[in-house]
Amino acid sequence: MTAPILAYEKPIPEITDLTKPFWEAAKRNELVLQNCKTCRKYQWYPRYSCINCGSRNFEWKKVSGRGTVYSYTIIRQVVANSPAFQKDIPFVVALVDLEEGVRMYSNIVGCKPEEVHIGMSVEVAFAQVTNEVSLPKFKPTASKG
Amino acid sequence: MRGEVAIVGYGETPVSRARVDKGEQRLTAEEYYAWAMELTLNNCGLTKQDFDGQGLGVIGAIWPHSEIWSAEIVQNLGISPKLLLRADHGGASAAALLLQSAFAIHSGLVDIVLCLGADAPMSVQNGSGLRTWRYELDHLIPYGMMGPNSMIAFVMQRHMFQYGTKREQFGKISVAQRYNAGLNPNAYLRNPITIDDYLKSRPISDPILLLDAVISVNGGLGFVVASAKKAKQLTEKPVYLLGFGEKHNYSHGSIYQPDVTVTGVTQAARDAFKMAKAKQEEISFFQPYDDYTAIVLMQFEDAGFCKKGDGGKFVENNDLTLKGDLPTNTGGGQLSAGQPGMAGGFVHVVEAVRQLKDEAGGRQVKGAEFGFVTGLGGLTFGGNLVNSFALILSSEVPK
Repeated sequence: MTAPILAYEKPIPEITDLTKPFWEAAKRNELVLQNCKTCRKYQWYPRYSCINCGSRNFEWKKVSGRGTVYSYTIIRQVVANSPAFQKDIPFVVALVDLEEGVRMYSNIVGCKPEEVHIGMSVEVAFAQVTNEVSLPKFKPTASKG
Repeated sequence: MRGEVAIVGYGETPVSRARVDKGEQRLTAEEYYAWAMELTLNNCGLTKQDFDGQGLGVIGAIWPHSEIWSAEIVQNLGISPKLLLRADHGGASAAALLLQSAFAIHSGLVDIVLCLGADAPMSVQNGSGLRTWRYELDHLIPYGMMGPNSMIAFVMQRHMFQYGTKREQFGKISVAQRYNAGLNPNAYLRNPITIDDYLKSRPISDPILLLDAVISVNGGLGFVVASAKKAKQLTEKPVYLLGFGEKHNYSHGSIYQPDVTVTGVTQAARDAFKMAKAKQEEISFFQPYDDYTAIVLMQFEDAGFCKKGDGGKFVENNDLTLKGDLPTNTGGGQLSAGQPGMAGGFVHVVEAVRQLKDEAGGRQVKGAEFGFVTGLGGLTFGGNLVNSFALILSSEVPK
């Protein structure tokens, strides 16, 4: 797990004071979300105030990691600033609606791009890309789908 | 404010892809500002001194070296206005500047505003793509999201899923706008295309094909906004702002998991039609913001030309070319004429003004009386577009 991963050439997120708990949890293969301590709504992406009530009081809560594909695209061509993705083409980026009521951008892995469809049940599958960053990706739900 | 302000005239530079190897010009955004000002002033019969103590509006650009960009442009142009506006609404910037100008004129602060938009995305060296939203850098780009192509792909995919919209229906928009572009000497792409050409165009980000997307160009445009009284002194054919609406950060349904097939145009258009006391059937032409065919299709629904979900059928059953009942993007729009970066929304406003002044030459919509224009800008996290504007422009102010 902790062996250095060499030459990961793709863009990685900047880990900030705001997002550190998220990426720390991801390293443990746990998906956590900001949960508002005032109105108890979850939100994604991480922000400094609650988009429902405006509160600045949050805690990070572990969530189910289960969701459904709301929409998706199969990437066929890279743009000028994304050459590192060239060798992955074709690959899927999806909007995943989590059970906790938020929407995430992520990749669908563990199946062929053509098998991805709207409404597909998926679950989180972490991909460690550097020593600091594990990206939450999603794969088809094992039991049913 | 119905009919209280009017557009006097306009300017539009030739566009370029900065292909020096093909003999095209490679200019900076600063130069396009100067050129757009010259053309706009000449068209209006005004000098830049006429704007000292009046208003100047500029927009954000992909190019600029400084964040305090309006300070650079106002010095470059040598104008000393009383009011300096800068719109920061992406593709909606032209509509935003028009409304900000209208509010300033309504308040009595100024009587006339010069609005300019220019950008040179094709002259920018590598690395420009990194100037984007923090959340895009951290939570989209690491997954290989390819910018607007991929973001609107989600929208188009969802529209096809929810309403059964067909690829050919999106394609018809691309084909019709290209036909219109053939009659616009300043359009970058003028060669006619067929549905077959569309279907065979390169897949970019499913279901988005090359011919679903805008073509990026360099260019500069401008228009002058004035009080109705002042406008009548300056031109025989003022183009009146009859109605408007705007909405920002609209979510259809849940703010966390919105329905991406509905845009803020639903609210902006409703307000614009109400203020203008106009109906959809009275509209002579439509200049919808067109970064992608799907965004055009959804606006027929959201602006009330058909029911939600019927956009595909509407496109199929109507001729969107200059020969049809609702000519759409009469100069080819951004899909064919080209998107000059952040100035893209000027294409729609300027074309509407040209049509309503009866100056569109071979692509003139005969007897054009009411023009409907939209401006959309800024991609939403998990949605569609952040800023929505709707404008109804007219050659007269009906009772």
